[in-house]
Amino acid sequence: MIPFDFKYYKPGTIEEATDIANKTLKKGKKIMYYAGGTEFISMARMHNIYTDAIIDIKGIPECNTHELKNNELTIGSTVTLTSIAEQNFFPLLSLTVERIADHTIQDKITLGGNLAGTIIYREAVLPLMVTDSDIVIANTYGKKRIPLKDIFDKRIQLQEDEMIVKVIIKEQFLSLPSIHVKRTKNEKIDYPLITIVALKDDIGINFAFSSICEYPFRSSSMENFLNDNSLPKDERIKKAIDNVPDKILNDISGSSEYRKFMFHSMLYEILTHFEEVN
Amino acid sequence: MDHIPRIKVNTLRKEAWDKVTGAAKYNGDIHTPDTLYAKMLTSTHAHASIKSIDTSDAENLDGVHAVITGDYIPVLSGSLIKDKPPIARNKVRYFGEPIAVVVASSKEKAMQAIKLIKVDYDPLPVVNSIANSIKSDATLIHESLGSYDCPAKNVYPKPGSNIAHHTKIRKGNMNKGWAESDVVIESKFKIPQSDHLAMETRNSRAKILPDGNVIIYTSSQAPFAVRKNLSELYNIPEGNVIVRVPLVGGAFGGKATVQTEYIAYLASKAVGGQMVEVMNSREEDISTSPCKIGLEAQLKIGATKAGIIKALECIYYADNGAYASTGPRMAKAIASDCSGPYNIENIHCDSFAVYTNHTYVTSYRGFGHAEFTFCMERMMDKLAASLQMDPIELRLKNAISPGDLSPTQSKITLSNTGNLTDCILRLKELTNWQEDRVVKMDNGMIRAKGMSCFWKTSTSPTDASSGVILTLNTDGSINLNCSAVEIGPGMKTTLAQILAEKMKMDVEKIHVVMNVDTQVSPNHWKTVASMTTFMVGNAVIRAAEDLIYQLRSIASVVLRCPPDDLDIKDQKIYLRDRPEIYVSFKNVVYGYMYPDGTCIGGQIIGRGSYIMRHLKTLDKETGKGKTGASWTVGAQAVEIEYDPKRYTYRLLKAITVIDVGKVINPKTATGLIMGGMSMGLGLATREEFLYDDVGVLEDTSLRTYKLIRFGEHPQYIVDFIETPQSDGPFGARGMGEHGILGMPAAFANAISLAAKAEFDMIPISPELIWKTKTGGKYDPI
Repeated sequence: MIPFDFKYYKPGTIEEATDIANKTLKKGKKIMYYAGGTEFISMARMHNIYTDAIIDIKGIPECNTHELKNNELTIGSTVTLTSIAEQNFFPLLSLTVERIADHTIQDKITLGGNLAGTIIYREAVLPLMVTDSDIVIANTYGKKRIPLKDIFDKRIQLQEDEMIVKVIIKEQFLSLPSIHVKRTKNEKIDYPLITIVALKDDIGINFAFSSICEYPFRSSSMENFLNDNSLPKDERIKKAIDNVPDKILNDISGSSEYRKFMFHSMLYEILTHFEEVN
Repeated sequence: MDHIPRIKVNTLRKEAWDKVTGAAKYNGDIHTPDTLYAKMLTSTHAHASIKSIDTSDAENLDGVHAVITGDYIPVLSGSLIKDKPPIARNKVRYFGEPIAVVVASSKEKAMQAIKLIKVDYDPLPVVNSIANSIKSDATLIHESLGSYDCPAKNVYPKPGSNIAHHTKIRKGNMNKGWAESDVVIESKFKIPQSDHLAMETRNSRAKILPDGNVIIYTSSQAPFAVRKNLSELYNIPEGNVIVRVPLVGGAFGGKATVQTEYIAYLASKAVGGQMVEVMNSREEDISTSPCKIGLEAQLKIGATKAGIIKALECIYYADNGAYASTGPRMAKAIASDCSGPYNIENIHCDSFAVYTNHTYVTSYRGFGHAEFTFCMERMMDKLAASLQMDPIELRLKNAISPGDLSPTQSKITLSNTGNLTDCILRLKELTNWQEDRVVKMDNGMIRAKGMSCFWKTSTSPTDASSGVILTLNTDGSINLNCSAVEIGPGMKTTLAQILAEKMKMDVEKIHVVMNVDTQVSPNHWKTVASMTTFMVGNAVIRAAEDLIYQLRSIASVVLRCPPDDLDIKDQKIYLRDRPEIYVSFKNVVYGYMYPDGTCIGGQIIGRGSYIMRHLKTLDKETGKGKTGASWTVGAQAVEIEYDPKRYTYRLLKAITVIDVGKVINPKTATGLIMGGMSMGLGLATREEFLYDDVGVLEDTSLRTYKLIRFGEHPQYIVDFIETPQSDGPFGARGMGEHGILGMPAAFANAISLAAKAEFDMIPISPELIWKTKTGGKYDPI
């Protein structure tokens, strides 16, 4: 039961979708791009989300792309987490999305939905961050391919009329040594207490974090400390934790002090893992 | 004719096929085209005066039929203390309390209208903990506590305080007890409130007919309490209130209280009697409808060097939330059984139900017993450690046995309590207790075992009763009609088995009336307190005896012999010494017809009833009295694997041995105990209400309120001891709640052993272990 009326559109092309968005916005109405619906339905039910129109982009072929071609892995924004895990082009991403919600919900949640949703963890972005991936977004003026790092600041900075079409990951990253570590308050399936994704390229180890702060992030200063092999591991980690770019979350999943403890032990585990890989 | 047993035989539930195919209907599944929908506006404050409510915009919205507030028929409800307006009036006392109700043509419209109601609050100081509630200068949650009407006689609210009730136990001589004690242990304990979390949220529908009948369709464990309370509160003749309850999708005590029914009735009344549905969202079910008590306690226990407990002193405070509801009865239940299943001669216990600005409470599986058992059984392990004694040995030494007196000075017999020693010894075998209870594994993990005993009695009113009506079909099969609500444990099937055993007939030939209708079915107190098999089962046996008497009477005429020469089996009445001479049920149950068409006899209807025997209210000063017909005892253990580096754990195994008197349906009995164990492990490890610093409940949805799920369960092992209860049906005693009781303590004992720290509060999360072990400060060096 959704306690308000809204218009439902299911366009077949990007142009059509962004056109509907633009026209509706011009009338002063709110729009929402829509795919899996897990957040929209569960939140609208309780008056926690409102929109005048939803634009269901699942019918747009480009948003459903899922292929490895020309040294690039392309995953459309409406590809479900289940499909990502099953096709398994990029094992690190598979591991990450397999730990988002439960299997039933993974059948519905889409990549774009997880990246752009209102729930703060957005863990699917982490493997994209450590691989310097690109994202293709569209609006009425057309599509553009942008490095994720240029458009990601706490979240993907989309204008109201913009939609995510797909993400593009360079093939060279897909098989690099990597690790995904997720800890929860106490459950197998839960929002993260902390999730870390790390990937080692020829320069060093790249790290991306969720549920340390109110948004996922990658930090070059923290990476510098963590990659500084002149220091003992504990020292590197401590310095990295001292340089977390924002307030460490303190909520019912865990206190900030506990998160720091957990963060430390997870980083230790990850650094040890890569030593062993070497 | 050989005897074919019908009890102690795995028997498919009567409702199984309907349930597994989805054909079964629950209350919320049923909609009629004339139904209107009510939605509640609930308080955003834990404690505030309501300065004004402006409902005009909501009323003007298309599709809205009525908007009501606490001013609409203002009366106070409550089964023990009348302290609760069904819709808050002038003041809100907890976050989530209903303050206005919209009735509209659809749920959507009602939700839209809710958003248009403007409420102006004046926040009041929030009583956000038990400690704050009992302070001498505490903010009063009910200023008029002294003038409230108390329908129950033995409830003792203390005017000018936040104390809703106080039960005292004064048994033996404390000075003597302490003097005889070589070792004295003291500890404090804390347990948060939490939710019942039944799969079907609480919901009801009401309509008021032109003839004055009020029809309530509800998901309730207590249809007759709904009838009585509605009748009394709104001056409706009791016979005009008709309550109908289909299958209930889980209850756990949470549906024993009357709450949504009041709202549905008021809402229907406000729209001229049209059918109105009130259906809790999960969030409302958690924050608006009543929850489980929280608890704080202080225990002091003394024992001799040999491990004989000589004295117990305890203070319990039950966090009752904003309204009394059944909270005072749980405080009483805690006090009455506070010793646990141990013989303690000298006991001094004060048990309070206190008001706070938290969600109000109602009964929850265990009725206070899981809570005090946690405290008492942690004390047993502490005492064992201090005496350097095996915890099993200590429990065996003190196990309650015939001739002992309970805390309320009620006499223990083998029949009324069962055999705890046998349970403990069987548990010892099943756990391989001889082995080291703490084992360090090669991978650094630590495996540990913890145990707990439990006991529980019913704490029912002294006049709780049950009735059964048996009618027959022309094929000689029987319809079993009683008012036990099928809330999940398959009790209607259990009752059919009892009837089949008594009638020596095929259980398939017994049809149960699955739904309850207060106009059709005889009264049963409430489907609570693990008392259904015992109470209704006894009524079934009496109804069967009545039926047998009537069948033999008519058959004695047909077969021309004294009724005493006749026996009954396989739907036949036969001559005991010449079984080939018989008359079938089908030929007599609607009268017997002679070959010439002449008839004798008439329709046969069996009836039976049962009322609790010899229960006594507790003396106000000493607690002397009798709260239940019997206890059920048992012993439980939990095995865990603890990771000392991460402070995390896994549940490996959970074991229960319980003395149920007689197992009637082994597989459902096992499932019932397992379900309780799983809930107990949920309480032990994750379930809790988290209030922020102004009393706002933070985990009101399943996104954040955690319960144990698939993949997190240990292996469950359930075993039964059968010491018959002589006044129980075929010796059976209550067992519905008991699986939960010792789990939190057994888990806490295991983790305390593994982590080498004392865990005296639940839930025990990895963060709590980390905090306890390290002081809770991140210190990388």
